[in-house]
Amino acid sequence: MSDAILHAVNVRKSYILGKVVLKVLKGVSLAVQRGEFLAIMGSSGSGKSTLLHILGALDLPDEGTVVFENQDVFKVPNARRDRLRNVHFGFVFQFYHLLPELNVLENTLLPGMVGTSFLGWFSEGRRRRRYAAELLDRLGLGERIRHRPNELSGGERQRVAIARALVNRPQVLLADEPTGNLDAATGKEILGVLKTLNQEGQTIVMVTHDPVVAAAAHRIVHLADGRVTNRKA
Amino acid sequence: MSPAGNSQPRSELIDSMYKFFLCLRYLRKRRIAFFAVAAVCLCVAMVLIVFSVMDGFLRMVRDRSRGMLGDLVVENQSSLQGFYFYQEFIDELKADPQIGPHIQEATPVIYTYGVVRYPDSQITKPAQVSGIRLDEYRKVNDFEKGLFYEKYYPGTTTLAPQRIPGCAPTAEGVYVLPPDIEAAWQKWWASATPQERAKAPIDKRWPYNRVGQYWPVPLEELAASDRPGPMWYGSELPGIILGTDMCATRDEKGNYERYHCRGEEVQVTLVPITESGQLRDATGPVRDIFRFADDCRTGVYDIDSMAAYVDFDRLQKLLNMNYREWTDEDTGQKVVNHARASQVQIKLKPGADVLAVRNAIRARWDAFSGPRLALVKNPNLMVGVRVLTWEEKQRTFIEAVEKEKYLVTILFGIISFVAVLLIGCVFYMIVQQKTRDIGIIKSVGATSLGVAGIFISYGAAVGVVGGAVGTVIGVLFVHYINEVQDLLKWISPKAEVWNPQVYIFERIPNEVNPWHAAFIYMVAIVVSMLGSLIAANKAARVWPVEALRYE
Repeated sequence: MSDAILHAVNVRKSYILGKVVLKVLKGVSLAVQRGEFLAIMGSSGSGKSTLLHILGALDLPDEGTVVFENQDVFKVPNARRDRLRNVHFGFVFQFYHLLPELNVLENTLLPGMVGTSFLGWFSEGRRRRRYAAELLDRLGLGERIRHRPNELSGGERQRVAIARALVNRPQVLLADEPTGNLDAATGKEILGVLKTLNQEGQTIVMVTHDPVVAAAAHRIVHLADGRVTNRKA
Repeated sequence: MSPAGNSQPRSELIDSMYKFFLCLRYLRKRRIAFFAVAAVCLCVAMVLIVFSVMDGFLRMVRDRSRGMLGDLVVENQSSLQGFYFYQEFIDELKADPQIGPHIQEATPVIYTYGVVRYPDSQITKPAQVSGIRLDEYRKVNDFEKGLFYEKYYPGTTTLAPQRIPGCAPTAEGVYVLPPDIEAAWQKWWASATPQERAKAPIDKRWPYNRVGQYWPVPLEELAASDRPGPMWYGSELPGIILGTDMCATRDEKGNYERYHCRGEEVQVTLVPITESGQLRDATGPVRDIFRFADDCRTGVYDIDSMAAYVDFDRLQKLLNMNYREWTDEDTGQKVVNHARASQVQIKLKPGADVLAVRNAIRARWDAFSGPRLALVKNPNLMVGVRVLTWEEKQRTFIEAVEKEKYLVTILFGIISFVAVLLIGCVFYMIVQQKTRDIGIIKSVGATSLGVAGIFISYGAAVGVVGGAVGTVIGVLFVHYINEVQDLLKWISPKAEVWNPQVYIFERIPNEVNPWHAAFIYMVAIVVSMLGSLIAANKAARVWPVEALRYE
């Protein structure tokens, strides 16, 4: 626990669906070690995506705390939390979620632009651009930086999403079913990318329902019925 | 813990780069935004055109109003009889150490109504007859600028008794004007620019190749003269200056065709009114014959189609408004009728404070008139005297146009709110379509305020682009507004929107005040931003987890 970079304690979350209160997380505690590749596994509806969102400060828990580098993520002002998402966390989604109007490079640069002022961009833009291009090159997209998302394959789009997640050099990469929308071969390729990143020291938390995918991680946490279990769901 | 992205600690990134980037990108890539840009563009052009034309119209009205009056008037507004002691008052004002130094010139004027008849053509017209001292009057207001013959033959127009200037052929058969008239023409010709010379309305139907119209000297006059040639002939009659529309017709292009010759006889019939406001039964209407000396155009059709100007003293005498001493046969007492004038026009020296001088003159009049009330037959004529600035005098006229200007601008401003609604709708649709994208932007750390900022910047960008195009269109349209009307008239004569007889001025004002344009442009930007507020608010409330849940 001493080297935990991200630490969730007794996180509870429920949604209201019509008249039914749906308890998605019923007190989840979890620690992510620095440099770890953690997989959160569970069946559909087990609350694993919600947990990931809460870990990444994208969603708010009803109860419980999330501590990132010794600060309670949900006790800081909104602006600070937005800043955490911008700088310290990187998200990769199942459906890539790229902006269709922007090309590959621009999509990758987006978090950088969010964190930089208009004037700051004049001084920093070039450096950020170079880093983003490097990142895309490493991910095998060096030739595609001027293409728009709709001109790319699924695997390529997911690699752009990974580049975008990494562009601000986050401490934690949060991936929500990153291979869920890809065929087996492409999924394997994306998984390879994540593994390589992890080997270089990137902390990764990945959500998946697929045991084969989860097997790529150092450690697997099973989630069932809103709780962490030791058994496979 | 010092990754590259963390190098600039900032709590609120209101000015983040992505806002500018995304709003410009949306402006280019979302075609629907063009509707908003077009709406702003048209509204800005519309308001600018309307405001500029109305403002120009108002400015022209004000200039003309001032040009007709001088700076201040002293008059008895409520009666046709005029008021007493005008000359004494003028003299006193000029001698006053406080007021005198500010006065450039002051002159009395008589206004009355009458009938003008041209004996040659036996045409009769109603007229507003003014008695003026031409030498003073031309210094007080812009009257001289509107004189036709005086412009081309400087120094030849007078209201004094005069004969008919007649042209006659030389030995070579070329018709020439009397030597003094010809010399005046040459003087103008020498001082005129080439453009002015080219624009001089020389009527080619007349044989002497000069501006205006002159009778040929009759044969019997030529025969009787010991020096036959062009000359002044006929009996001496006092001069009269007529409003241009009294003695000329205007063609479609706005040029005047004059149908009276210089020196032609003009009969004026007037109705004298006594001091007590009675028509004089004993004499009935009075009549006098004048010679047409010149025509004058103030540019106000209502005036130019009615005006006749004759010499002040002559009119005063005709109307029995002059100073008279007589003995009442019944009582044997000496009776004095003090001279009367309708108005005194005062021109102040440049830089004088019009209101301060007006107040001083008001005070002066009170002190001046008080002791004299007992001397006159009808003291009411003295009590009713007011001192007004040119603006106050023409208030009803100017204010009407002023009100019209603001009313029209407000109306068009209200119409322009359609643009705000359109921007609101367009942006709302964009936010609706872009909910997922907003979620993405938030997921990478954009604040709610920042996302709202994208759309407010977007609104501002729509305002900047639409306003700029609209301003250019508006300025060009106003600049060429007369040509636009000419084009419309060419397509269909009924399309003439600016009838000079209705609107006083023959051309539509075509100047844009750059400050007005800048102001309207700024308002367009602000209004466009306001139009984007609802959408921006909606965008700020997007919950990223919800927006990103599904593809």
